[in-house]
Amino acid sequence: MATTDQEVNELIKREYEHGFVTEIEVDTFEPGLNEDVIARLSAIKKEPEFMLEWRLKAYRRWLEMQEPDWAHLGYEKIDYDSISYYSAPKRKEDMPQSLDDVDPELLRTYEKLGIPLHEREKLAGVAVDAVFDSVSVATTFKEPLAKAGVIFCSISEAVRDYPELVQKYLGSVVPHTDNFFAGLNAAVFSDGTFVYVPKGVRCPMELSTYFRINAANTGQFERTLIIADEGSYVSYLEGCTAPMRDENQLHAAVVELVALDDAQIKYSTVQNWYPGDENGKGGIFNFVTKRAACIGKNSKVSWTQVETGSAITWKYPSCILRGENSVGEFYSVALTHNYQQADTGTKMIHLGKNTSSTIISKGISAGKSSNVYRGLVKFGPRAEGARNFTQCDSLLIGDRCGAHTFPYIESLNKSAIVEHEATTSKVSDEQMFLCRQRGINPEQAVSMIVNGFCKEVFKELPMEFAVEAGKLLEVSLEGSVG
Amino acid sequence: MKPASTLSTAFLHPAGQALPEPLLALRKQRGAALVDMPLPTRKTENWKYSSKYLKLTDEMAVSLPTAGKTGSALAVPGYKVVFINGVMIPEASEYPDLNNILIQRFGDLSDAEASELAERLDTTLNTKEVQFAGLNSARFEDGLMIRLNPDAVLDQPLFIIHEVTADASGSAFPRIFVDAGRNSQITLVEEYISSGQEAVLVNSVTEFTLAEGANVTNIRLSMGGENVQHIGATGVTQQRSSRFESHCVGFGGPLRRHDLQVRMEGEGAECKLNGVVVTQGTQHYDNHTTIEHVAAHCDSEETYRNIAADKSHAVFNGRIHIHQDAQKSNANMNNKNLLLSTGAEIDTKPELEIYADDVKCAHGATIGQLDEESLFYLVSRGIDRREANVLLTMAFINELVAQIPVEAVRDTVQIRLNQFFDQAFQEA
Repeated sequence: MATTDQEVNELIKREYEHGFVTEIEVDTFEPGLNEDVIARLSAIKKEPEFMLEWRLKAYRRWLEMQEPDWAHLGYEKIDYDSISYYSAPKRKEDMPQSLDDVDPELLRTYEKLGIPLHEREKLAGVAVDAVFDSVSVATTFKEPLAKAGVIFCSISEAVRDYPELVQKYLGSVVPHTDNFFAGLNAAVFSDGTFVYVPKGVRCPMELSTYFRINAANTGQFERTLIIADEGSYVSYLEGCTAPMRDENQLHAAVVELVALDDAQIKYSTVQNWYPGDENGKGGIFNFVTKRAACIGKNSKVSWTQVETGSAITWKYPSCILRGENSVGEFYSVALTHNYQQADTGTKMIHLGKNTSSTIISKGISAGKSSNVYRGLVKFGPRAEGARNFTQCDSLLIGDRCGAHTFPYIESLNKSAIVEHEATTSKVSDEQMFLCRQRGINPEQAVSMIVNGFCKEVFKELPMEFAVEAGKLLEVSLEGSVG
Repeated sequence: MKPASTLSTAFLHPAGQALPEPLLALRKQRGAALVDMPLPTRKTENWKYSSKYLKLTDEMAVSLPTAGKTGSALAVPGYKVVFINGVMIPEASEYPDLNNILIQRFGDLSDAEASELAERLDTTLNTKEVQFAGLNSARFEDGLMIRLNPDAVLDQPLFIIHEVTADASGSAFPRIFVDAGRNSQITLVEEYISSGQEAVLVNSVTEFTLAEGANVTNIRLSMGGENVQHIGATGVTQQRSSRFESHCVGFGGPLRRHDLQVRMEGEGAECKLNGVVVTQGTQHYDNHTTIEHVAAHCDSEETYRNIAADKSHAVFNGRIHIHQDAQKSNANMNNKNLLLSTGAEIDTKPELEIYADDVKCAHGATIGQLDEESLFYLVSRGIDRREANVLLTMAFINELVAQIPVEAVRDTVQIRLNQFFDQAFQEA
């Protein structure tokens, strides 16, 4: 397909559209990390005593931990003392009381990103919590949610207003000892989202958080905690963007989901952090720990992710299926381009009887990128009748990229059944020929084929996100035909 | 005993007997490298599931006593080379003296031949990944070199039988090197058996280099010895249009480990790897395979089946690595596992590492139990439950057993399988 190469290379220049920087006054900590920084952070957040202790314990343990090196990733060592651990838009008074008090510059930023924070009740119907650098700046639709009994607020507010819930569940799914990045997050997390859905409540609207890194040399460490009480249902979406910068920025988040009896949580992510330029310069280092505990009987957690951004993605949304008949699902599309590296997958740990899980992973690598699926499916000795089905497919676009699959399957129960299959292929000449014959240009043809390849995952996304995801894929793929 | 932390302190073997100078020099050089080679632990990725079975004691750090012409290996008809307690027994061995096929003990090689061999040993295996091949290189005491000149064809399978008869603790480090010339053909059967009662370590390495158009079939039977920890490695490099076929049949033991690494370096090479593993009691078996597609237009096909009964533990780790220039590669890996009891454990990791885009690669893995409906079908037709279990279990692996190209080997395997069925499905 040498002839198409040139046309395509001209198209390659399409840039990351969320790469702008917002000029805004900020309070930023000096780079560096020590116990004083954590104490200052905790003080700014007006946290109760137990939180500070919790953070310090995590910090002390973190100092003894080693950065993991088992992933199929190559990057320069991160200097944790050159990062600022807190950056927040300056505020005139204490907290904004309503959206009118929020800095208009900030609101414009979110408008630019296509996330109208002003409640457009008739149209939107999605409650948004916006996190700008280290803090949550606005949460919409608080009132109707409160009427249903759903708590949806920033985690800083939750620590102050619902300490008993936070104390009970924070760190219960991802303890600070879990891994290096989760430990760091526990010590310095600055904000995030907290959701509690009470017994029997079906959350009346989609909840959503939008993360934005703006300041330079800062890390973003947010923490999300979602608790679905007995018989409740919630669907949660998150999206992320960051400005274009030459340096790498660290993002180390922790997400914990707790599903009690008969509860259901649907968690969708469209991750579009700045991926770096075509020479592999800059971009976000995304080291994220996401885990769900299906504690209750018949509980269900479903992870859907579309990963198109970040220079490095290290992320394994997992389910611990403890309750009988609990269900875990993982649907993922990971697209890497240029010099992006992704090492992502899931863990399904079956402990309870008749638990079942499904894993559908689609990896697409283009340019000089590397895309890894790494997963674990484990059946404990008491997982009678447990089932797993795994399918991971890779699509290679170009001959300088890599696609890898490292699935771990461990079974200790004879009645458990696991099926795993994986394929790797490229966009075939026949497919391209068929499209081009019908007058479709190579760009669109690849886009169509890739969209078809990912369809199984996209159909799991809420409608608004599915549209965004499809578009993202088109943008990211542009110029990769060849 | 205090556990040794590196392989170098784990085994202080006496110098090899009567080896030519170049091979002694190689041993010494590899021995020095062992200092940096830690003993595998649970944190060592490629020993994650198996390190707990590795039990090395001071008593094993000596050579096994020489026994002479004894043991059951003698009964095998046809061409054979017999190693007893790690040492080749020429008077028990029978093989033709041909001018185009050289079969020679390392100790009988001239210095010139030995130095050529020394340069080629270890070239087929990545000793960073297969640490114990490095240990063998530093410790081998005896070995066999087989060289096939271009177009040479060995008319019958050659059996290489490694038997442990000693009633004493110790270790053996046998080494085989096969140099298959252009368009040559050989079928090599390796059989590991034991009748000893004391804890023994067998650390074997077999290497194959296939020149253009060579056709090699390797059958490997790891048959037993309840006290033998067997860590083996097989390394293969393939040139243009060569074909390598491997049939590995393994029965469990206190520790069984086989690393099989195939590198296809010439275009049009083809390899087929079959494996069957059966474990019972508290036995263990661990297969690690790597297929590297270095050149374009190569095909690989891998099929492994594991059966674990009682409280045994079977591990499979298969890796397919497609290099950047290996366009038009075809690779297929399939691993199916049968878990016969809760309490047994099966771990599998089928890996794909792909750097070329115009390839067709697929892998599949399953773990499950015998299908209740099939069992019911058989039982409803008057077949008793035990018999039905045996039929279905045999059916699970028969496809692979039937492919073993040497009838005598198929028979040996079937006898062992029948013993296994008798023990695994006792109650009706």
